[in-house]
Amino acid sequence: MAEMAARPVGERGFGESLLWLVAICVTLAFFFPFYWAISQGLRNPIDTFTVSGLGVPWLSFDPTLDNWITQLSSPESRRALANSTIVSVGASVLALALGTPAAYALARFRFRRVPNIDITIWFLSQRILPPVATVIPFYLVMRAFGLLDTQLALILVNATFVLPFAVVILRQTFLDLPLELEEAVLVDGGTYRTAFMRVALPLAAPSIAATALISFAFSWNEFLFAITLSSRDSLTIPVFIAGSVDTRGVQFWFMAVRALIAMVPPVLIALLAQRYIVRGLTLGAVKG
Amino acid sequence: MATIEFRRIQKQFGDVTVIPDMSLKIDDGEFVSLLGPSGCGKSTTLFMLAGIYLPSGGDLLFDGARVNEVEARDRNVGIVFQSYALYPHMTVFKNIAFPLKFKKVPDAEVSRRVHDAAELVRVAELLERRPEQLSGGQQQRVALARALVKDPTLLLLDEPLSNLDASLRLVMRTEIKALQERLKVTTVLVTHDQVEATTMADRIVCMSDGKIEQIGTPDDLYRRPASRFVAAFVGSPPINLLDGYAADGRLIVNDHPLALEGEPATGEVILGIRPEHLQFMATGGLECRIDQIEPMGRETLYVADSPLGNIRVLESGAGARHAPGENLRIGFHPEHVLLFERGRETLITGARASVRQG
Repeated sequence: MAEMAARPVGERGFGESLLWLVAICVTLAFFFPFYWAISQGLRNPIDTFTVSGLGVPWLSFDPTLDNWITQLSSPESRRALANSTIVSVGASVLALALGTPAAYALARFRFRRVPNIDITIWFLSQRILPPVATVIPFYLVMRAFGLLDTQLALILVNATFVLPFAVVILRQTFLDLPLELEEAVLVDGGTYRTAFMRVALPLAAPSIAATALISFAFSWNEFLFAITLSSRDSLTIPVFIAGSVDTRGVQFWFMAVRALIAMVPPVLIALLAQRYIVRGLTLGAVKG
Repeated sequence: MATIEFRRIQKQFGDVTVIPDMSLKIDDGEFVSLLGPSGCGKSTTLFMLAGIYLPSGGDLLFDGARVNEVEARDRNVGIVFQSYALYPHMTVFKNIAFPLKFKKVPDAEVSRRVHDAAELVRVAELLERRPEQLSGGQQQRVALARALVKDPTLLLLDEPLSNLDASLRLVMRTEIKALQERLKVTTVLVTHDQVEATTMADRIVCMSDGKIEQIGTPDDLYRRPASRFVAAFVGSPPINLLDGYAADGRLIVNDHPLALEGEPATGEVILGIRPEHLQFMATGGLECRIDQIEPMGRETLYVADSPLGNIRVLESGAGARHAPGENLRIGFHPEHVLLFERGRETLITGARASVRQG
């Protein structure tokens, strides 16, 4: 501290300005696509390629809400939103319903034949497998069960891919909970089930919430299986955005609006659950 | 209330044997302390009593009935963990009431018993708080209340005072002992702190490497330690232990001969003499020179260079009366001398050494 204070003010001011400059540049770089989507979405199709410069509404072109009105009132976009919501929530719930008990078992019990760590790594290895390798098998399986173009098919597939992640994260969460708390439950008269339900689960709640959110985001953005396994009824938002193409080429005005609509739910949830995410994701890192 | 018996209990974790063979009887209403350094198997023993660990061999008896495979929840044992293990997401009331939930106790009675238990350990005004809002001492009391609320047949305390500051430890020590005497509940305390063990327990089980070194009253362990280990572990400041050789009624320590009385011991021995049993004297005894002074308030510890080697001497009374470099004489009473066989490290009974020069 003393050394810093001893430095000339001018020098420190320069360093600080440089830092600010970099920060502003980075921020602009990150926010520009959002800005461009907003600007694009407010333009008449005719203005798409004719507006030069930064495309500032009112300065460069007359903004219109037509694209938004069209998109928000179209049954296709509503159905895509509904599908995405159902699929993402369903996949997260399913993955956590299966993953939480699995993670707890891996953290607290010793399996006889295969060491726990091997089972954990096997779970993790599911994430190493390139999803594209499983597209055709999944397609065939879903066709055999008559599940093509259903929300259930996408829920099952997304849950399959999110599950290993949930197991690995939550296993660490449970490992970090003090064992004595659960031992206390056993001595107090409870069973392993009580120890899990009444003590371990509530204490792992922040981590479970964070995992749920990440699962949600993963399923929300999933494209490969959504486009393969659905044709109309179960189309999700990413496929819907990619579908902003007609015989005249890419409809940038619609694509921009759809992309912005698609962003709203995850951002809202993330803002609401912010407190939990930070706590949940640092739970494994910092031991209390 | 219960009598507890370990009959040749063994405990292994995989290939590691923690308790090779342990037999121990605890009377109804007795306060027993398991004392030993970390890793000596005292906590493992406690967890076997709680039903958290199952013994690998032998029989564990509660009131004469074998409980080896009885689940923790069916043993009616109360436990206070070192970390207290209060449920952080529940209020103090819910924490204390938790064990009663499994006993199908009606709500009104739950409330009455929780209040009684809270009253007993003086946390009645904290019932609506959460554990994180309590001080260490208060958490400890709540943990005690939770252990006692179900009228346990056996109360287990795992290093209950180690997380408290020194002054609070003193208070809780007295309180726990008073509570135990009032409730007459069979209690097992695990500690590595000899002062905790000697001040609270009726009987101490001193353990090392999974084996019982000695079972006895605090007085027994101090006066007649069965082994070198117990002698070294019990007593503060620690006992002086000096290697020597006994032959022909003489004890040679550091080339200095001492007279050996009583049944003569022979061979390699260890001479043990507690610092508080050594006195400075004007004449007789052994010549020595003060090396170092450690004032301890009420008493002073001197490290002296003597013909027997470096030796610790404790002198009571405030203020150091001697200075480093001072030449003095020290002596001890033969009955305070302990001799241990080297190798087996056990106490040799009947032997006495005196300072009379050989």
